[in-house]
Amino acid sequence: MLKLDNIEFSYEKQKILHDINFHLEKNEFIGIIGPNGSGKSTLLKNISKLLDPDKGFIYLDSNLLNDYSYKDLAKKMAVVPQDTDVNFNFSVYDLVMMGRNPYQDRWGRVKEDDKRKVQEALELTDTLKFKDKSIQNLSGGERQRVIIARAIVQEPELLLLDEPTASLDINYQRNIFDLVSDLNEELEMSVLAVSHDLNLISQYCERLILLHQGKIHSIGKVEDVITKENISEVYNTDVDIKYNPITERPYVIIIPRQRGSQKIVDKDFHIHLICGGGTGKDIMNLLNDLDIGVSTGVLNRGDSDWEEAKRLNYEVVEIPPFAPIDEEAVKENEQKMKKANLIIISDTPFGWGNLDNIKSLANFKNKDILFMVNNDLEQRDFTEGKFTELYKHIKKNNNVNEIKSHKELCNFINSKYEEISYD
Amino acid sequence: MQKKTNYLFIILAIIVSLFIVGILSLSFGSVNLSPIKVLKILFFGEEVKQSLHIIIKQIRLPRIILSFLVGAGLSIAGVVFQGVIRNPMVDPYIVGISAGAGTGVTLAIVLNLQISFLFFSTIPLMAFFGSLLTVYIVYNLAKTKDKVPVVTFLLAGVAVGFVLNAVMSFLMVLGTRDIHKIVYWLLGSLSTASWQDIRLMLPYFIVGNFIVIFFLKDLNLILLGETDAQHLGVNVERSKKYLIVGASLITASVVSVSGSIGFIGLIVPHIARMLVGPDHKKLFPTAAILGGIFLIISDDLARILLAPMEVPVGIITALTGGPYFIYLLRKTKKEIW
Repeated sequence: MLKLDNIEFSYEKQKILHDINFHLEKNEFIGIIGPNGSGKSTLLKNISKLLDPDKGFIYLDSNLLNDYSYKDLAKKMAVVPQDTDVNFNFSVYDLVMMGRNPYQDRWGRVKEDDKRKVQEALELTDTLKFKDKSIQNLSGGERQRVIIARAIVQEPELLLLDEPTASLDINYQRNIFDLVSDLNEELEMSVLAVSHDLNLISQYCERLILLHQGKIHSIGKVEDVITKENISEVYNTDVDIKYNPITERPYVIIIPRQRGSQKIVDKDFHIHLICGGGTGKDIMNLLNDLDIGVSTGVLNRGDSDWEEAKRLNYEVVEIPPFAPIDEEAVKENEQKMKKANLIIISDTPFGWGNLDNIKSLANFKNKDILFMVNNDLEQRDFTEGKFTELYKHIKKNNNVNEIKSHKELCNFINSKYEEISYD
Repeated sequence: MQKKTNYLFIILAIIVSLFIVGILSLSFGSVNLSPIKVLKILFFGEEVKQSLHIIIKQIRLPRIILSFLVGAGLSIAGVVFQGVIRNPMVDPYIVGISAGAGTGVTLAIVLNLQISFLFFSTIPLMAFFGSLLTVYIVYNLAKTKDKVPVVTFLLAGVAVGFVLNAVMSFLMVLGTRDIHKIVYWLLGSLSTASWQDIRLMLPYFIVGNFIVIFFLKDLNLILLGETDAQHLGVNVERSKKYLIVGASLITASVVSVSGSIGFIGLIVPHIARMLVGPDHKKLFPTAAILGGIFLIISDDLARILLAPMEVPVGIITALTGGPYFIYLLRKTKKEIW
């Protein structure tokens, strides 16, 4: 249906697109995603013949795109733009009828066939009820459906959509994409849709193209493109991927940065974190946002906190999976604690296996120790009271601060940092 | 939204009005006649005194027909330019046509040029070629690669217009004794209308209209935005080019015989749009006839108000059109653009 062969496009000597190669099969639904400025819209403009590529070829049904007249192209390909503001007082019916333009002669005579097709498209898009209304009196979502009706009467084989739901509420977003999906399946239109909404497009399309800096970063099935690595790399932000339980398609979750009043970019300032079982992830991300040097341990390899610490390139004192802490690890861990300006203990439970982490604390009488106490101490105690006893002892003899929220943690870290940097 | 019956009624009503206004205008003047008598002379060949015959057929009739053509032409050009540029503030002179024509005429008067070509006199010829030359310059200034972006076109028109106006003022200062003649031409007048004028402008007027009509359907789509129009199968750059050429030809033909009569090309398209909506297939005839009627009436006023002295009709169009337009804007209060 559509084939792009080594497309390159520059705008005033700046390369916007390069090495673009892909193939859209008949009746396929492909989504194009990518951050702002990655070239999504430019790519679509090249495909819709608004812009000419500097290099490479675009084929539509084995003919070069450039060999089509505008009129013939409009019969094969319809475009639904992002901005559908119509400044003129056309009626919905008249506007949809304009989609028949490529089939009409110079004088725009309307044939019975045209009328029937417009009627059908209005019914299909559920816009028949306001066919005599002015396009200007419709809401954004209604207007977008009218524009899709106009695309339908062009009877295209390929439908291009440029962020069709960019400014719409979620009910309309669903509505529009459901409609496009129907066109794809029932009227057998091939669809190529640009969207900045990863999650929306991922629920509908068969394949995805992820653009990054004017190149195809990855292309393939949705679950192969929407991965934590791809999205984190291209969008340069921390995300997590879950699955939509209904469609079983991937769903990108953003992880907001924990608010700190100020970023600490001082490599001499160093925190040691005692955690485990996923209780330290949030704290690590928070500290990462503050750009603070972090070490953590002792952790079992494969523990989810261990994974996170590795991902963030933190120093980790590690032991084999499920193994108890050994002598050597304790020594190493205490060295890290010694170096640290602060020690944080997450809400992790303590059993016989990791109790040594707490025992070590007793050696650092002058260090600030931040103890997360969101969970009841007794519930965290899997050592028949040994942990609780140890904790009370440390609390009495050491500099222990009980912390309840990340905000409190942030404030403490900030004040501690200021204290140190003024010394 | 206008229904089809509504449109037919409107177009019928304005055609009837045109006829009535035409007959009445033929009767008014220094010699007043009854409209019935005018009808008899025109259509039933009633024998009258030679002088009366000349007044009706050689003086008033060509003047009214020319008024109609000028009013219609300016309105059509206004519709086209407003549509192509998608800007409600645009009038037919926006591309510098009036300044070009004015400069041509000023040159002719100041230098006392005497050229004639196929019996046509100096001033209309200079106006015609002055305006076409200006459009040509503006168009090529705005052209980048193979495209003519409308904003650039608009700016080039305004800029060239300013330059030409300066040239014109300079020429006027040089030839102070002719200032009266030049100003009178610039204000626009139909007082010298003759069949000869009609013969001069009509070929260009007709060709211009043919071009415009041929691309009228595309103009509707261009209103949606050039990108949308192209996606709907319009070769936008080509249509735009021909529409600009067609409208310029119409304007140049009109300006050459009437001087620059202001305001009609700006407001008549708006009034027509209020009546029949933005569809150019309806807008074109409506604006044309309305513009014709408007200028015929304005010219009647120009003849009658201070008779036997004539007021330049451009002053009348601005004085009547302006307030009427403001009244319409306030009354409808809805967006007309």
